[in-house]
Amino acid sequence: MQIARKASARGGRPGERPWEGYLYILPGFLIYAVFVLLPIVQTARLSFFDWTGFTPAVFIGLGNYRALLDDDLFWIALRNNLTLIVFYTIIPIAFALMLTGLLTRRPIRGLNAFRAGLFVPQVMSMVVVGVVWKWIYAPKGPLNQILDGIGLEGLTRPWLGNFQTALPAIGAIGSWVSYPFAMVLFIAGVQRIDEDLYDAAKLDGANGFQQFMSITLPELRNEITIALVTLLITALRTFDLVFVTTRGGPANRTHVVALEIYRNAFTLSRTGYAAAIAVVLTVVTLIVSYAVITLRLRTVAEG
Amino acid sequence: MSENGRFSRRLVLKGAAGTMVLVGLAPVLAPGARAQEPVTLTVWDNWTRDVDDALIEQLDREFMDAHPGVTIDRIAKSFGDLKATAKLAMSSPDGPDLIQINQGMSDMGAMAQAGLLTDLGPYAERYGWLKKLPPSMVARNSLGDDGKQMGEGILYGMPLTAEFVGVYFNRQKLADLGIETPKTMAEFEAALDALLAAGEIPIAFGDLGQDPAIHTYGEIEGLYVDTKYLDDLVYGRPGATFDTPQNVEAAAKLQEWVDKGYFTPDFLGISTEDMAAMFQDGQGATMITGSWFSSMLSEGDPEQFGFFLFPPLEEGTNKPIVAGTSMAYAIRAGSPNPDLAAEYIDWLVSPRAVQGFADNGTVPLGVDADMATPGTLFADIVAAWNHINETDSAGHYLDWATPTFYDTLTASLTELLAGVITPEEFVAKNQADYGAYLAQKEASA
Repeated sequence: MQIARKASARGGRPGERPWEGYLYILPGFLIYAVFVLLPIVQTARLSFFDWTGFTPAVFIGLGNYRALLDDDLFWIALRNNLTLIVFYTIIPIAFALMLTGLLTRRPIRGLNAFRAGLFVPQVMSMVVVGVVWKWIYAPKGPLNQILDGIGLEGLTRPWLGNFQTALPAIGAIGSWVSYPFAMVLFIAGVQRIDEDLYDAAKLDGANGFQQFMSITLPELRNEITIALVTLLITALRTFDLVFVTTRGGPANRTHVVALEIYRNAFTLSRTGYAAAIAVVLTVVTLIVSYAVITLRLRTVAEG
Repeated sequence: MSENGRFSRRLVLKGAAGTMVLVGLAPVLAPGARAQEPVTLTVWDNWTRDVDDALIEQLDREFMDAHPGVTIDRIAKSFGDLKATAKLAMSSPDGPDLIQINQGMSDMGAMAQAGLLTDLGPYAERYGWLKKLPPSMVARNSLGDDGKQMGEGILYGMPLTAEFVGVYFNRQKLADLGIETPKTMAEFEAALDALLAAGEIPIAFGDLGQDPAIHTYGEIEGLYVDTKYLDDLVYGRPGATFDTPQNVEAAAKLQEWVDKGYFTPDFLGISTEDMAAMFQDGQGATMITGSWFSSMLSEGDPEQFGFFLFPPLEEGTNKPIVAGTSMAYAIRAGSPNPDLAAEYIDWLVSPRAVQGFADNGTVPLGVDADMATPGTLFADIVAAWNHINETDSAGHYLDWATPTFYDTLTASLTELLAGVITPEEFVAKNQADYGAYLAQKEASA
């Protein structure tokens, strides 16, 4: 009796009680609603007000959004975030795919040690990562000393203080902390692939690289999409890394949207305006993520 | 059943304990004992450096000993944390009685406009604080009736310690080249040239943290402007402008210094902490920054480094010096114990506290020359502060001019230092920010 009813509820058959299933997600949903959904709604509401954070809020309609159009600093920040996407997605995913190819298809002595070592950047706190890389990039830091030592003193520069290299330098840190996440996803994905596929390919005389391109890569499509969307969101909401290393300098060359939100909310007491920027960032993130997923679904349908 | 039984037994125990607490409190609550009613004074401050923290803890204990029944509940917060949370705390009905707040329109100004601050004028009169606080420092802790005009009116904050910018120097390096303390800008530049020729880094500098550039620029600007110009600019008085030939001249001078190679190579990638550490380590003969580095630089040999104020164009004249105070103590409007809070502030500016700060190497407002050991860095610092007061030459932190000026000024200074923009473009960028702010301010007045 009991079992039968539950099974049918899961199937959602008419005449039964489909709402019963929702009871199970209720506790989780309540927590999610209070700590995620409610703040989102409140932020959206706030974005229509002129509010310092403690004086009475004044409703100004779309005033904050209009001001945003003329805010050069916001557009600089958004452009920097879009640049960072390259460093947070394409580079680490390509690197992770390469490592996956190297680490999965042949026996290597001490494989687990390699995997664990390669995963280290992912488990370090971003503040620690920022402090360490700030030291690496310093004018007399290890990076410049190495360049000096191998006769490339022409390339030495204050990486984080140079107008051209500051953003790529931060982006490189982003790549370094992002690839382990993609790598773990891909390695797990590879273990799911049917061994028969590889056997068939070997019989046809495919070498390791050909096997990787024709079997591993297509089979990892889902994992690649997940990594792409997740890392894309990370790129768009970058804050801690920039805050610790450059605070947006030199001359706003590494300013990012999250830093602009923080500056308006906590330094300038423009809470309503900060909320408007946060809403725009959320919408941009949704659009970009949606575009990636749609594109992916379309290629699946065509493939 | 047994579960329920245990539960009810626990309830009974709780009830009994509650009754005992009530009985214990009875004598305190009884009429006639009200005079000794315990009072808690909640204070949020910024004394996080270990020696200062220990001093305040000690002063708190002594205050509590002198006031039976008074408990001081103190919370020390970092500057950023305190700044970010002060406004919400001040607007809370049961917020702290006293908070150290940042001066300037976005903090003290905003709180005064919201009616969150107590007028400290009557207390200043009762305790004679104005004798300890120079007029220029009173001005920057005062706001007009509506809280929109800084520089005069109601005193809302009482600071304890002074901060100002000047030139630290490595005594050995200057002595080696026979360089005396420069009395004019020309002598200073000649000294920098001599240091450069001798293979030294004339000025330890770093711009990754962005703040040292503001102070260096402020000192150079002070060569060409007077304190009245700076007052008008920072207090946003009608007609004030950043677009002046003097600012173009100062910006050009700063670029000239970069071109001459006075600053640490690759300074764009050096953080403020690294700048100070390099200077301490002997990489750099001088360093232009604030008095807040004096205790760090006194840690080793207190006579290794010296300090002089940035010299004027002509010997014997006075130029404005970038100067201010630490965050100011403000009493929350609606605090149940404003008088006690004021008495606490007075204790922190008492001779006892002043000596304590001086012993820590921090510059308290009422500091005397004889509180420092002659020949030490701290003696130079105290002498410099007393000179600023005697000659009334305290200028301003330029970043107070508008809420966004810190960001505008630091970003444009970095571009100026990197040679990406000209002095004229530098002035135009900052005037765009300043002009917009002033127009908005006048429109809302």
